[in-house]
Amino acid sequence: MIGDFFYEAWYLSLRTLRRFFRVPANWIGIIFFPLIQLFVFSQLFKDIIQLPGFRSSGSGSYLAYLAPGQIAFTAFFAVAWSGSAILVEYRNGYMDKLRATPIFRVSILVGELAPLFIESAIMAGGILLLSVLLGATIKTGLIGAALILVLSGLFGMAWAGTSFVPALLTKSEQATGTLSLVFFPIAFMSTAFVPPALMPGWLQTVNSWNPITFLIEAIRPLMVSGYDWAAIGKALIAIAVLGLVLQSATLWAFRRLTA
Amino acid sequence: MISPIIEVENLVKVYPGGTRAVDGISFNVEPGELLGFLGPNGAGKTTTIRILATLLAATSGTARVAGFDVTTQAADVRRRLGLAMQTPTLDAFATGRENIELIGRMHRVGRAELKRRTDELLELMGLTDVARKLAGTYSGGMRRRLDLACALVHRPRVLILDEPTEGLDPQSRIALWEELERISRDGTTMLLTTHYMEEADRLCNRVAIIDNGRIVVDGTPANLKAGIGADSVTLQLEASGSEDMARLHEEVRGLLAGFESLESVTPEPFGVRLAIRDAGRAIPELMRRLDRNGHDVHVIGLAVGRPSLDDVFVKYTGRRIRTEAADQPLILGW
Ligand SMILES: Nc1ncnc2c1ncn2[C@@H]1O[C@H](COP(=O)(O)OP(=O)(O)OP(=O)(O)O)[C@@H](O)[C@H]1O
Ligand SMILES: [Mg+2]
Repeated sequence: MIGDFFYEAWYLSLRTLRRFFRVPANWIGIIFFPLIQLFVFSQLFKDIIQLPGFRSSGSGSYLAYLAPGQIAFTAFFAVAWSGSAILVEYRNGYMDKLRATPIFRVSILVGELAPLFIESAIMAGGILLLSVLLGATIKTGLIGAALILVLSGLFGMAWAGTSFVPALLTKSEQATGTLSLVFFPIAFMSTAFVPPALMPGWLQTVNSWNPITFLIEAIRPLMVSGYDWAAIGKALIAIAVLGLVLQSATLWAFRRLTA
Repeated sequence: MISPIIEVENLVKVYPGGTRAVDGISFNVEPGELLGFLGPNGAGKTTTIRILATLLAATSGTARVAGFDVTTQAADVRRRLGLAMQTPTLDAFATGRENIELIGRMHRVGRAELKRRTDELLELMGLTDVARKLAGTYSGGMRRRLDLACALVHRPRVLILDEPTEGLDPQSRIALWEELERISRDGTTMLLTTHYMEEADRLCNRVAIIDNGRIVVDGTPANLKAGIGADSVTLQLEASGSEDMARLHEEVRGLLAGFESLESVTPEPFGVRLAIRDAGRAIPELMRRLDRNGHDVHVIGLAVGRPSLDDVFVKYTGRRIRTEAADQPLILGW
């Protein structure tokens, strides 16, 4: 029973990954924006690092400060439009083809969601690598890097709900694309560019609830100082809560769509 | 007594919005039989098939496939069912081989058997050379054949095909007919829909003509044609334009009123088509009537045909079949 589910989800996930990596536009599009931000902003605001608020973060350069945020951004971008693929296949009838085979209906959804862990982790890994090439460091070495990828992957999988829920409810790619823009400010309000100490009070409050900030603040010490288990623990809790809420909603919307 | 493989009783489907797409359909398909659904656009063919394939819930009525109820025993139905929908549905970013293998895996075809079966189907469908190319690069005909290969990978007991030869060139169509005939001879029960009279005539043991969500008549092609009785006589008329032709249609009707061998007059753009009993004997009298003084009905061509499935269709539905089609409703989201 449970074995059947894993078997189905496994092969459907492989298919999803294939679909993702066979179209270079997919991963180029995801990497591009964070890379440009990393490159341009680190030059443009080079001296911003002199401001007192940055010191406490432990980053030696603005590039080093920027990198964790852009890694998180990448995981964010990797799933920002992830719900449209399932929509396309709902519309063109491929989902019906799968539904007419003797599989669990939910395997189809899991086969779309689970691979987002790999996609987000690999994309985030790409930016991590590029930022190291540009001069950032990873204090905690390979194990720390692996931890960064796992955190990014988990975050991507959880955050994907922000795309799946509108996709499954509106059945419209345009609506899905537009609604995903609603979530962009959440990324920009995070601590990706500026430490909380330099933010106005209301933004600090926002960030004590912002899941992306939790992710960034768990990644940052791994790169610039060392293991901060409290930050990692908080990030994992934030991701778990986010994932639970968003993915329950996704499951509900999926069942509603395929009823 | 062997029980039917497909049993449908009083099936009704009313779509939200009130369209009564299927309006009380009942039929059986016996093991090994090849039943064809023949019907115009919007007749309810695809809707019936989606219900049988467990993809759509019926409003009322029952349907059993291979002995299992499509609503309460859907998984059992799916295990025994091969399905190809009206528009081929493929994973464009997977190769031909990967497409077949995925569906095979979902049907739990074992590893060794899956390899053998996939090779065999690729060969059969003439896709061996392109097996490693992405399905998104395939031509329409190749997609159709790959789609069919996917439907066959698990050796289903029942094969349901919605317009399987739509979009194929005449050559591929005939090749596919031969293939379907072979599959049918091997004992697979088949239900297919079609717009093509020729296809229904050649391929199907039994044809059900469906119109407005109802089966209006069903039987073997031979019996249905015999039931027509009349021969068809096609008259080509001389006219100076479509208005003139319309006038001639009326004139012909008038001239032939009371002609006892005549069963029906169907206007055509080039003249008229008449259904006439024992045409061989009736033609001299027919020509005499059309030649009556004071009229300008000039017959410039005449052809006599034995009844075709076309005529059966016209008799039972009152119109000719059109050939455009679509099965995916456009989903309007916000
Ligand atoms: N999802 C849907 N929602 C509402 N109405 C629908 C839906 N699908 C089909 N219909 C309606 O149901 C009727 C039957 O449609 P169906 O697709 O079953 O016809 P068909 O016989 O397959 O026609 P075709 O030869 O064009 O494929 C049509 O009037 C169609 O407009
Ligand atoms: Mg149809």
